Amino acid sequence: MKPDNKTSFAARRAFLRKLGRTAACAGAAVGGGALGVMQTVAAKSEPASSQQSSLIPDYDWTKHQWAFGVDATKCIGCLRCVEACKVENNVSRDPHHFRTWVERYVYLEGEDRPRIDSQHDPVNIAASGSGGEYRFANRYQDAKVEKAFFVPKLCNQCTHPPCVQVCPTGATYKTVDGVVLIDHKYCIGCQYCVQACPYGARFFNYEKHVTDKCTWCYHRITKGLQPACVEVCPVGARIFGDLKEKQSPISQFIRNNRTRVLKPETGNAPNVFYVGLDKDVL
Amino acid sequence: MPKHIVRLIVLLVGFVVVALIAKSYFTDDSFYRYGHYRADSVPEIAAQEPAYQTPRYCRDCHSERVAQWSANNHKTVSCEVCHGPARGHPQKGKLPIPADVVKLCTLCHEAMPGRPGTQPQIQVATHNPNASSERQCIACHNPHSPKIKGVVAAVTGNIAEGKKRAAVCAGCHGPDGISPNDAWPNLAGQNAAYLVRILAAYKSGAEKDVMMTPVAQALGDSEIQDLASYYASLSCKEAPSAPGAGDAVSGRALAAKNCAACHGETGIGTNPAWPKLAGQKAGYLTNMLKAFRAGLRKDPMMAGVTRGLSDADIANLSAYYAGQRCEAIPEGGTKP
Repeated sequence: MKPDNKTSFAARRAFLRKLGRTAACAGAAVGGGALGVMQTVAAKSEPASSQQSSLIPDYDWTKHQWAFGVDATKCIGCLRCVEACKVENNVSRDPHHFRTWVERYVYLEGEDRPRIDSQHDPVNIAASGSGGEYRFANRYQDAKVEKAFFVPKLCNQCTHPPCVQVCPTGATYKTVDGVVLIDHKYCIGCQYCVQACPYGARFFNYEKHVTDKCTWCYHRITKGLQPACVEVCPVGARIFGDLKEKQSPISQFIRNNRTRVLKPETGNAPNVFYVGLDKDVL
Repeated sequence: MPKHIVRLIVLLVGFVVVALIAKSYFTDDSFYRYGHYRADSVPEIAAQEPAYQTPRYCRDCHSERVAQWSANNHKTVSCEVCHGPARGHPQKGKLPIPADVVKLCTLCHEAMPGRPGTQPQIQVATHNPNASSERQCIACHNPHSPKIKGVVAAVTGNIAEGKKRAAVCAGCHGPDGISPNDAWPNLAGQNAAYLVRILAAYKSGAEKDVMMTPVAQALGDSEIQDLASYYASLSCKEAPSAPGAGDAVSGRALAAKNCAACHGETGIGTNPAWPKLAGQKAGYLTNMLKAFRAGLRKDPMMAGVTRGLSDADIANLSAYYAGQRCEAIPEGGTKP
């Protein structure tokens, strides 16, 4: 090795030593700061009970446990719920993006599987006149119908929501009062949650580039109102209320009926309870 | 410990510290408050202003309409289902009164497989094909009180018995049911079912009239049936058509739009529970239309129809119907 090489090695070693010392000093200096940071983080993750009641004005989310009921034997398929939901929640008025929707199951004579359509079926769009209006076409009026019924659907606000589990940014979460919400500021539009939902309740809003879905009109229920779809349903097919209140409409609905949930085998424990469903409704 | 290991550890610690500081800098203050999400997003979502305001919001100003609506069959259909969300009303203007009522009403009432049997449904093609298209439904049905009054079972009175009882009525309504006074109605040839309904209403107090209330209260149910059968059996041929002060030509246009769906183009309707108007006294028709408009006669349907009529409109309508021939053969048989 040449002597000048040796000096250059020594110089490099000296430089690294200095760098190391500086880093150590800096580490020690900010170490105290870092400890402080970790304490704040730890403090943040503890539920701050004093702030809970002031989170939403005049509303304490620890005192409610919301649930939804659907009586499919009453639904007339007028789609006023779909219309109201679109208006209430500024959902784009095209026929393919919905927070809530209604399915029609029709069993024709001699067929062992139901024919299923919803408001975004081309025949129904044609009957409504435009994609911004919703109605079921009377397409089976001359057919031999053995059995037919309508099933309103919406987000099930599962107790163990798979959509929340897959969200990489914490943009979707389950509130204490039992609703799964989406934080549109934190949503990065990856659509994992759309894939994860077994009910197809989520859709992608291409204008805002975020995922969207039913919130049971969280802005209404926290003000003491009913969700818009429940408010406008003319036949009482949609029932909403607080499970913590024993005389609420939903508590009575669950107590007085043999209800079932959709896809119970997934273990999501949905919170939308159905009455009058056929075995073919998934 | 070897020096190079110490260096590595120190570098690693430095990296972790920088990462933690960066994380705390970029993470929202409220992020871990309740869990792995931003707690501030909850009040943000909850702060959205509701669009649908519920009927309580409507009641303060539209109390009369709300009272009628809430007492009748459409009480489960919230105001905003038909009139749209009330957010911003009245500051930002009026709420729509549905223009295409056929489209709106058939959303719920078109007969369709899958609708529960308890839901009132119609065959759109055959349900009252006489009505003009755009006002088809609300021509007969008041949307705030949709059930049409007075569906009466067949009238089974005894005509001879009725003739005996009719002596009491003859003083005002004429011996043959043709009234001598322009303000009192002809009864000859009137629909029996309508006569039963209106007499029963006077008897029960549902309708009030200085003359008719005491008369009707003195009648038994079978006597009402007898009278109705008797007057329905009389011929109205001799009814003199006294054209009132109004203009029958403009009356015809008004009638076609407002009245024809129930009472027929020429004043002879299809439903026997509704009165024939053809050849009726013009003065009586005018009085009755004004009474409906003022709410003195209580019929939600007629109140709705007469609400928009001026005194001149009423005179024209009365003149038109008074000039029609009452013995014309009714179009069609029963109501589809």
